[in-house]
Amino acid sequence: MADSPSFRRHPLASSVDLVRWLPSSSTSPSGRLLAAAVHDPTSGPAASSIHLLPLSDPGSPLASLPLPSRATALRCSPAALAAATSSGSLHFLPSSFDSDAAVSVPGGAGFHVGPVRGLDCGGEEWVTAGEDGRVHLVGGAADGRVVARRLWDGKGMSGYEAARWASPVEFATGGAGCGVQWWDRRKGDAVVAQCNGIWGRGIVTGMVHSIDIHPSRKHICVVGGSSGTIFAWDLRWPQQPIPLSGVGLNGTAEPACESEVWEVLFDTYTQSSDIISSASARILPVMMCSEDGILAVVEQDERPFELLAEACAINSFDIDPQNPSDVVCALEWESIGVLTRGRDAMAEE
Amino acid sequence: MPGMPGMPTDGGGAIVPFTGEPAQAAPPPPPVRPIRHGVAPPIFRIYVSWSSGNLLQVACLRPPNSEGGGGTEELVGSVVEVNLGDGGSGGSEAEEKIDEGEMRRIEYGSVPAFALLQSRKNTLADAATMSHVPSVPDHAEWWQYVLEYSKTIGNLLGNPDPPVFMIEDPKTILKVREKPTSLRAAWELLEIFYVDKHLQGWLPERLVDWLSDFDSLLSTMASTVYSKLSNFQKKLINLQIVEDDPDYWNGLSAALSVGWLDIVVNMLRFHGSYQLDQMDNRETENGLVEAVAVLVSTMPRLRPNLPTGKLGQCCKTRPDFIKAWEKWRGQVTKLECSAFWIQCGHQKTRYGLKNLLHIMMGNINELTDATSHWLELFASHFLYIKPFTVGFEGMHLLAQKCIQLKPSSGTNGLTGLILGVLSENTEVVLAECTKNFGPWLVTHAMELLTADNDYADVMLHEERLNFGGISIEELHRLVYAQVLCSHSLTWQFLMPFCLFIFPRDLFSLLPLGWLTEAWIHPMIAPTYLSSCLNQGLGLLEILLLKQPIQDNCLVLKTLEICRLYELENVSTIIMKIAGIYHWKHGRKGTGVYWFQQAHDKVCLDRIAQQLFEHIGKSVTDDSFKQWEGLLELLGSDIGSAGGLEFLHRYRDFKRSLQQALDRRCGEAARQTVDFLIQLMKNPSTPQRFWLPLLHDSVELLNSKLSPLMNVAETTLLLNKLQELSMAKRCPDFSSNHLPSHAISSVRLALASNLARAILGDP
Repeated sequence: MADSPSFRRHPLASSVDLVRWLPSSSTSPSGRLLAAAVHDPTSGPAASSIHLLPLSDPGSPLASLPLPSRATALRCSPAALAAATSSGSLHFLPSSFDSDAAVSVPGGAGFHVGPVRGLDCGGEEWVTAGEDGRVHLVGGAADGRVVARRLWDGKGMSGYEAARWASPVEFATGGAGCGVQWWDRRKGDAVVAQCNGIWGRGIVTGMVHSIDIHPSRKHICVVGGSSGTIFAWDLRWPQQPIPLSGVGLNGTAEPACESEVWEVLFDTYTQSSDIISSASARILPVMMCSEDGILAVVEQDERPFELLAEACAINSFDIDPQNPSDVVCALEWESIGVLTRGRDAMAEE
Repeated sequence: MPGMPGMPTDGGGAIVPFTGEPAQAAPPPPPVRPIRHGVAPPIFRIYVSWSSGNLLQVACLRPPNSEGGGGTEELVGSVVEVNLGDGGSGGSEAEEKIDEGEMRRIEYGSVPAFALLQSRKNTLADAATMSHVPSVPDHAEWWQYVLEYSKTIGNLLGNPDPPVFMIEDPKTILKVREKPTSLRAAWELLEIFYVDKHLQGWLPERLVDWLSDFDSLLSTMASTVYSKLSNFQKKLINLQIVEDDPDYWNGLSAALSVGWLDIVVNMLRFHGSYQLDQMDNRETENGLVEAVAVLVSTMPRLRPNLPTGKLGQCCKTRPDFIKAWEKWRGQVTKLECSAFWIQCGHQKTRYGLKNLLHIMMGNINELTDATSHWLELFASHFLYIKPFTVGFEGMHLLAQKCIQLKPSSGTNGLTGLILGVLSENTEVVLAECTKNFGPWLVTHAMELLTADNDYADVMLHEERLNFGGISIEELHRLVYAQVLCSHSLTWQFLMPFCLFIFPRDLFSLLPLGWLTEAWIHPMIAPTYLSSCLNQGLGLLEILLLKQPIQDNCLVLKTLEICRLYELENVSTIIMKIAGIYHWKHGRKGTGVYWFQQAHDKVCLDRIAQQLFEHIGKSVTDDSFKQWEGLLELLGSDIGSAGGLEFLHRYRDFKRSLQQALDRRCGEAARQTVDFLIQLMKNPSTPQRFWLPLLHDSVELLNSKLSPLMNVAETTLLLNKLQELSMAKRCPDFSSNHLPSHAISSVRLALASNLARAILGDP
């Protein structure tokens, strides 16, 4: 498959698990930066790290932070870049990218045991949600020390795969079979609403992999998970999730893919095709990536708009918050791809 | 050999004796890795097994009761890890070893091209069966598909052309470019000989081109045209008068003999007579140099076109070429006999230029002197002696002759491959590929060999009984897929194959060095296995079942492969294994999730019993919060929850009971009884839970004066109790640690309730 001029693949010679845009500052001499969680497939899990890559030459990292095991979550805030690992630890790299100044919370009985896939920054505090069923709030990175406070210990009865803040006092989590939960800190740090998703018809249940919440519509979660499922959950109608894509739905939505949806994000670049109703209940366009190599934009009651159809899985992607036309994705075959969307491409739609 | 205990020998402390194959002319030295195990001899046993990635675990043990130093503490044994990926000492190849990351890039990149070609093959085969025409695909079309495939793969292997925009020093003889790899050289060679039918008529010129790209790979030890020129290049900076240096003329004749005309012309312009201050004194000399340069640059070549920057005049057809050739040769001869040579004062120039003319005239002695490697001599024959050499037989005879003339040049993988191709012996070609270039090349090059060669087609696709009913093609794909997934199991699986099938004189054992290219990557192996009709799916199942299940994402990736290849039974097993793993490690929710996905009622029932005991002991509202997530996961309407379905109702019952006992309110008590009746009626409630349920309710039944149940309900419960009393006589009855009088106290409570119900009945 020949690369179109708007899409570039950059081989990295190590497996890329996650990739994110870093907030670019005008002072940065090397231009726009990416953060990628990589591991060496030949050396086992020990050789994992976070690389800072310049967009101009992603093959040569500017800085690197070694991790004790493979990264399972990667997020950045204006102050720091945070990575959680499959051994339950959490690592912060300050925005100066000085790896000596990195701080971490070690994995184990005091924090998380096993992979932590839910990680998000809510301004002051970070939330972590692990497969061990624990939810922590981590904060206080200002004085160089990080403090983790346990919000909930599910004792393994449920495991979490995703977490996302809606507001400084509310966040959503999702996991294996348990759908999505809405937590409210004002109501005793407890789950106040629960949604089992739209799985059904032969597929008993599914796993949530990713949740996104639009900053301007904090009552709506968009959720990506097993079997090509993407649905929106509106807290105002908690019992009626809105399907956006999925296998086996009766005609309401065409599946964008049939395999695992690894990540979903609201796509601020794609204009909703129905501009007048954009203030109404209609769900805003959502970008997704999947195990079968699809990067697409899905909209309620619309055909999915495919941006990429790769031969290998797309494990992770990120839309540049400052230039939403640019998308970076982590490809299974040890490379990252950078997609630049132009006005022309959108006009065709 | 993995998994096999080896007996150490006494010889020089070597752990495993290695005997090279004496039959081979020049066996490549085996890569030797010293291991510091720290165990004093005698070593009794050695175990070797694969760890993750490229790590090999070697365990060295002393005899169990060795009468050692009597009291001195000595190691009884030790386990060391050896990383086969860190290069090692295997630098015997002439090429720069392709590093692992680069090799993986090639492996990934070749998957789509391979898959596309296979699907085209299948489409053509289907079309052939549909229309009942002979099943041989349309060759005219087919080789073009293969050529497209070959070009795609070739691009992956690197581009030998120099970058377009490059400012070069005029004194640069050899252009700076990407370092060629012998993998690419081998691939291109196969493409030239087996696939590209367009250019079949210009085969000799294509070989000359190939040599100009890959001459540097022929030998690192012995001299080649390339090495001569690069040595001269280094010397050039310090040379005042180039034409006085014999290496200048040697380089010129070498470059001319293999047809690197642009380099020859460029080098001739270094000649001192071109310098402005000498122009006047050396006018004749300069004229002769320029005349030779013109002749070199106008040499006729039997080929359709020339890449930019290359010299010569192209002749597409034979008659055109013969005409041009005769004219050109005439000019060369005329210059050779010219009277101007006497006026040329510089003896070395005169001699050197004449030598160049003799090369152009096809003088065998001069050609033999100018070239170093037999392949270079071979190419020079095409250029100057036999431009019309066609047919493999003629080429092969010529190659033999050249080898006799240049016996010292030896052979390496590439020359062995060329000889195999020229001798039209597909077996030898395959063996050379296997031996020198590894399983990636063999697997992918198989398509090139069979593109338009019926013999190879039959030879490679014939199902052989001694291979267990598979063809050579399938065998190599299986081997490659296993190398991709380098795994202890697959390695053992493959060893008997190698020992068994390869005739010793043709195929050597899989060199261990291959494994340095291996890593655990199951995601691309299925593409190759799915094209193996006989054993591919079986092996795929084994590989999938061996994938790690600790990580949910990896499990999902494996399940995705199962979905693509419709291996439902395999995915069910994987889900069950994952379920048990997570359950064992305390992640009960995830465990239950996988069991549900696998529709494993047996495991879910067993889990239900465990959970019941857990729940039964702690009924406070607080602990229920933890169960909430799990119970939510089970859902009330999900049929596949198996025995766990009842937990949901049990949770409601317990909670309600708690409320009823706390608040002593009639409504809550009534609701609790409703839950109890539902539970007792429901067939999914296992019998062993009946008694605890009833026993839990005793306090409630006894606490009220008015009857909580009507006659029919009470009778139902009494009947269940009766059933239990019968079952109690069975040996496998378990009483759930309830007091021995449990049954009687339940019976008493029910009886009094019944009495009150009868009395209360209007």
